[in-house]
Amino acid sequence: MLKIENLTTSFGSVIALDGVSMVAQESKITTVIGANGAGKSTLLRTISGLESPASGSITWEGQSIIDRKPEDIVRAGIAHVPEGHAVISELSVEENINMGSLFRRRINKSDVAASLDEMYQLFPRLQERRKQLAGTLSGGERQMLAISRALVSRPKLLLLDEPSLGLAPLVVEQIIDCVNTLCRSTGLTVLLVEQNANTALGVADHGILLALGKVVADRPAAELKADSTLRAAYLGY
Amino acid sequence: MSSTAKNPSIIRRSLRRTIFFIIAILAIGSTFEPYNQAQLAVVLIYFIGVLSVTILTGISGQISLGQGALMAVGGYSTALLMTNYSVSLWIAVPASIVGAGIAGALLGIAAARLSGPYLAGTTLVIALAIPTIANRFMSVFKGDEGLPVDVGYPPSWFTNLFGEPSYEEWQLYVALPFAAIALFFASNLLLSRTGRMWKSIRDHETAAALAGVNYSRQKIYVFIIASIFAGLAGALYGLRGLVGPSVYPVALSLTLLTAAVLGGIRSIFGAFIGTVIVVFLPDWIDLVLDNFELSEQVSNFMPALISSLLLILTVVINPAGVAGGHHHKHK
Amino acid sequence: MDTFLAALFSGTSRGAIYALVALGLVIVWRGAGVVNFAQMGQAMFSTYIASTLIQNGNSYWVGFFVALFAGAALGAFLDILVMRPLSNKKKTELLSSESMRAAIPVIASLGILGVLQALAGIIWAAEERGFPAPAAQEGFTVAGSVMPFTSFDVFVISIVLITLTMTTIFFKKTGVGLAMRATALNQEVARLSGIRTNFTRTLSWAISGAASSLAGLLITPTSNLSPNTLDLVLIIGFTAAVVGGLDSPAGAVLGGFIVGLVISFVTFYLSPEDVFISILAVLLIVLIVKPRGILGGKDSRRV
Repeated sequence: MLKIENLTTSFGSVIALDGVSMVAQESKITTVIGANGAGKSTLLRTISGLESPASGSITWEGQSIIDRKPEDIVRAGIAHVPEGHAVISELSVEENINMGSLFRRRINKSDVAASLDEMYQLFPRLQERRKQLAGTLSGGERQMLAISRALVSRPKLLLLDEPSLGLAPLVVEQIIDCVNTLCRSTGLTVLLVEQNANTALGVADHGILLALGKVVADRPAAELKADSTLRAAYLGY
Repeated sequence: MSSTAKNPSIIRRSLRRTIFFIIAILAIGSTFEPYNQAQLAVVLIYFIGVLSVTILTGISGQISLGQGALMAVGGYSTALLMTNYSVSLWIAVPASIVGAGIAGALLGIAAARLSGPYLAGTTLVIALAIPTIANRFMSVFKGDEGLPVDVGYPPSWFTNLFGEPSYEEWQLYVALPFAAIALFFASNLLLSRTGRMWKSIRDHETAAALAGVNYSRQKIYVFIIASIFAGLAGALYGLRGLVGPSVYPVALSLTLLTAAVLGGIRSIFGAFIGTVIVVFLPDWIDLVLDNFELSEQVSNFMPALISSLLLILTVVINPAGVAGGHHHKHK
Repeated sequence: MDTFLAALFSGTSRGAIYALVALGLVIVWRGAGVVNFAQMGQAMFSTYIASTLIQNGNSYWVGFFVALFAGAALGAFLDILVMRPLSNKKKTELLSSESMRAAIPVIASLGILGVLQALAGIIWAAEERGFPAPAAQEGFTVAGSVMPFTSFDVFVISIVLITLTMTTIFFKKTGVGLAMRATALNQEVARLSGIRTNFTRTLSWAISGAASSLAGLLITPTSNLSPNTLDLVLIIGFTAAVVGGLDSPAGAVLGGFIVGLVISFVTFYLSPEDVFISILAVLLIVLIVKPRGILGGKDSRRV
């Protein structure tokens, strides 16, 4: 379980997260929704160690992970797929996936090869393009690649930042389905950040609404989805 | 450019600084032995060169390792005017900055396309290539032998008024007016709107471009101004006795950069402090080392070792340099 | 024809060494984002170590391998001591501007160069000394005439080609190589993948240090050794790296051979004094026509 208490992160004088408290329950999909600039990405970036918070605590499996380096947080079982289909365009598809399991090579070499195969089963399109440079992939394929790169680190918690950004609805559905299946079948905990609230709440167990760096609602996803007042006030539809 | 000298309060402030500077140098210089007076003259000359680094790197963010080559341009221009056309140094030195300015414009046009390490490396190659021209055109530049020039003797009106100065003291008095003029212009430039625009280019190239600053052209202007400073410094540096390739080695460019960084790459005051450190450091080290029994091998390399260590420590610990804090108050 | 062959051979042999120097620069530039102007100062230092070992009666090869190891260790040490603190320190006002962030490591590397040269002067005195070659430096005799090609040239070219091939395999085929490339291309994604980027950066410095030490060992038999001898080699190597593409290891190698041949032909057909002007000309032409270098990548890093 991931537990966040009173987390504040600021950039100079701009406060991006203002005393956020929340939990991500084990083997559940928790989604963080909110308008642009609500602090959603900053929340994930602070959890994965890319930004250092001004105050507050982040506890993962009973231990504080504040002030740990991103590379150590991955090792602790938290994988982050940042916004914008973050893959390395100049490397091949296979190299991008392998990158995510490099740190496990010395511990378990056969498992590394196995996890690559798993990804190819999950996303057969990537196997077809395994020798291609990641830069030549379509947006959807890049997102699949970015998720694969995160999954081969064998995380217990997956942080997904706007996987739907710039993708066609059909592709979004495919990717979200995939994440949903993974969570239900393997017990992966997912923290999904989305601007597309409807899709996210449709698949999530729990929903958290952020506005200007503060939590304004923290409820079961279905309940949040049904609340038209909140939706109108914070999401504009 | 036009805004450089319009604001009277800026001019007054720069003038106050300059007058204070002249008085301070004269007061300190008069108490010095001839050796230290010559050293002080070197400080003034380097100071002008360091100002060129301050303007180029500190104010506009471009890093050049070729300022020594521009000094050579100034030095050769002066020496050629003085030896071939018997022009007085008071005319030859100001005239030589035209040559340096032209060289700077050419360099600036090439440099406008480059930044960061590319610019540093390219200017380093330039610093090496330019002095080899002296050997290519032997008849004009006299190769490695160089062209002997010096500050000569003071005119009679000067000796009548102030008495006969020593040669070292006269070197100081020749350098002082030029250093004062350089200080005045640099101070005006930094305080002016142009200076602020250059700083904005340094801090946010993209934003400056969006704000309508033609940033390639501004980069060329910066290079021309910085080259004029370097050329002036080079002209005076040559007047210490010889203009030749050995007088303007690549190490000279590095010395200027070291001085600028040590003192504080963003301020004029820092430029002066850094210059004093770099020029007097060997003497100070000698004073300390005299107490120990060290071989010549060690003491010869001590100044270079200490100043390089100081350079590293400065960028690692306090990149703003000695005058770093001082600068903020003036902002 | 004889002059042509002589220029061609000497250019190829020298070009191989410049390729090595350029490769060293490219590895640190890509791996750590710094153009290391101290690189040949490090090489000078380790070559002095080799020279001292050999003078004290050790075999050439002991000196050779100790120098490579010392070069790698010195590179790693400098990264940990100077460059890592610099790269972790980005929040101060002076470093907040893009151009100053690029300038500061350059200044630091110049400081390192100064320290290494002064230390070498203090430890080994400043006078020039020779450095042995492991193979004969007389030309081969073919059909009674002496060719402008020596056993040492063969040694240089083969060892450089082996090194270049090994480096390519290392970067393309090994996990650590992949980690280093990932760090160079996108530090954030690399860290999120669990790659210890501090380590891979230090490794870049070490590999580059060993490569440039090798270049130092190979070039000093023909140039003698003093604290400043290798300065010119650095500048030529920089030109080679920029000509080939500072982002491309293959480009660095190509650039090395191009610059080696240019220097050699200028020396043989014009005069040695025109070498630097011609290097400058090559550099400026490439920067104007193809600022990213001949094999430079497409990435968005500005020149």
